[in-house]
Amino acid sequence: MSAPLLVEARGLGKAYPKVSRRADRLQALLSLLAGGHGTQRVPVLADVDLDVRRGESVGLVGENGAGKSTLLKLITGVLTPSTGQLRVHGRIGALLELGAGFNPEYTGRENVAMAAALYGLSADEIRARMDDILAFADIGDYINEPVKHYSSGMVVRLGFAVVANSMPDLLITDEVLAVGDENFQKKCVRWIEQYLDQGGTLLLVSHSMYHVQKLCRQACWLHHGRVQAQGDVFDVTQAYLAHNERKGAGDAAPALANRGEFAVLGMNLNGHDARGAPLQVESGDDLRVEIELHSREGREPVCMVGVVRADGSGVYGVSTEMDGVPVARCGEDRYRAVVEFPRLALLPGQYAIRGLALDPEGVRLFDTLEAVLTVRGHSRESGVVRLAHRWLGVDETETPA
Amino acid sequence: MASDIQPATQPGAPARVTIARADVGLSHAWRLFRHFFVRELRNRFLGSFSGGLWALIQPLVQLAIYSFVFVYIFKARVPGADAPGYVPFLLVALWPWTAFSESISRATTAIVDNAGLIGKVAMPRSVPVLAVVASSFALHTFGFVAIVLVMPLFGDPAHLAWLPLVLLVQSMLMLLAAGFALALSAMQVFVRDLVQVVTQVLMLAMFAAPIFYARAAMPEWARGWIDLHPFTWYARAMRDMLLHGHAPALVPSLVALLVALVLLGVGSWLFHRLDPHFEDFL
Repeated sequence: MSAPLLVEARGLGKAYPKVSRRADRLQALLSLLAGGHGTQRVPVLADVDLDVRRGESVGLVGENGAGKSTLLKLITGVLTPSTGQLRVHGRIGALLELGAGFNPEYTGRENVAMAAALYGLSADEIRARMDDILAFADIGDYINEPVKHYSSGMVVRLGFAVVANSMPDLLITDEVLAVGDENFQKKCVRWIEQYLDQGGTLLLVSHSMYHVQKLCRQACWLHHGRVQAQGDVFDVTQAYLAHNERKGAGDAAPALANRGEFAVLGMNLNGHDARGAPLQVESGDDLRVEIELHSREGREPVCMVGVVRADGSGVYGVSTEMDGVPVARCGEDRYRAVVEFPRLALLPGQYAIRGLALDPEGVRLFDTLEAVLTVRGHSRESGVVRLAHRWLGVDETETPA
Repeated sequence: MASDIQPATQPGAPARVTIARADVGLSHAWRLFRHFFVRELRNRFLGSFSGGLWALIQPLVQLAIYSFVFVYIFKARVPGADAPGYVPFLLVALWPWTAFSESISRATTAIVDNAGLIGKVAMPRSVPVLAVVASSFALHTFGFVAIVLVMPLFGDPAHLAWLPLVLLVQSMLMLLAAGFALALSAMQVFVRDLVQVVTQVLMLAMFAAPIFYARAAMPEWARGWIDLHPFTWYARAMRDMLLHGHAPALVPSLVALLVALVLLGVGSWLFHRLDPHFEDFL
């Protein structure tokens, strides 16, 4: 038996009215009053089927304008669908463009009370949870200041704190992790993971495939208002990334968060300094990558190694956090990670090896060091890597009688 | 496979939309209402210099101005042998009117003012509108009762025994205001200059109602028109009870109640018809 459905959407569609001229609004009003559909409309979402079951975590990916936020708003109930069916069960906690819904004139505390009431908490529940909320937000005495004096980060903190404490059946977040400082991001990621462990359900919009893959097990890719792919998070995000790669081949290196806190100090490939002449290896040789990282305040960074092709498309990437191995400390704020690729499966060609420094949560990328690697060989196999394979002998191919 | 995205408005195309969600629940709506109500009251006290006295001071100033203009400049007098003084005559109708007109003009922008909230959080949208109406009435009813209690200072003592019924009539007036407020706040989302029109119309309506003058002082032809004014009965009922100490006539009272309920019904119908489209136009 499968878990109960929290969200069930069938053929869901949304069209926004076209209101370019002033008269359009009046016309729309009269048309709606007469029981019509309003004026001409621009479709932004169409034929979306989406099921979210209790305990699932679904990532919504897609380009800007693909309809992700619109879909979330429909599910939240802020928007009314133009077509289709939508069933929503359970209490939804939604963070749409975080902190919004706060009134800038009121203090943080008043806004928390208001927001909590909006999420359906009673006055007693609000009182009981106020301390937890304030502790989670961790914005100190600012809580008694009007929200208009807050930094955007503080607004985000407060917003997340309220939702986190409203115990939603379904948590909906829209680019939450993109805002807020690193510390708070980690806190949010940790909280969401814990929430999912306890059986919570998540619907997440993010442009960070890393977050989507880390937090979600399913994904849905929206493209021009339609579902392009749906299913396992890795299948969907990879299809999405491949699509993007085709669109703009290697035009953007991964954006770096402010370098400095965590940095790649150096990298050695088979004992050669990566900053020196490009290393050449034979296809099938061993490759040993040593990366030295810098961190601050004794916080152990996450080290990642990536292999990319000359055009920037990824071949493989793995981090210490993914494999659950620690990085070795080798001095004041210096760390070292060494990884071996025995019998390198890369086919002959030009590659780059990237050493990446991430924060201890493995959430944000801080620094990258890249070294060119030439793999030589005489193989005629095509592609990028040699996959393990075996041709069956003639006698093996015959189906047993 | 799904077809291409069609414009959602095909002539004659049925809007096949079904939405089902766990109901928000009345208790939730009530809690929200209380929050908005308290917030609205606090809002008005916090920013203003006069604080909690606001409810008294504003109509008092208004009353002083009107009394000066009408009593000293125009030498207005209430017709009739045992007529009350002009000031008591004015104030028992002016105070309810202030609550009525202020609640409508403030509530008209209630949805637009809360656009940020409405765009981010799902909630029953009528809550902020009704909270504004209720808070305006709470404030001015409080002021009304206070001024009625000190009415002997202005000449004539009021018939205080009628106070409970006065409050009942005031509640009826609130229902009427809520009907107007729901309709206007919903339309304000679509037509933003509506509130300016509303303010002007309310000003006109104030002088068209028998607040500053007695219905009896008007020429015969005008009385029929005055009776159509939704506030006329309220002005009269308040005077009947507080100044003359007798109950308002039964049939007009029932008609007034019916009018209030019908307007409330029309207002909510209109509001709920437009409600699903607010977010598209906010």
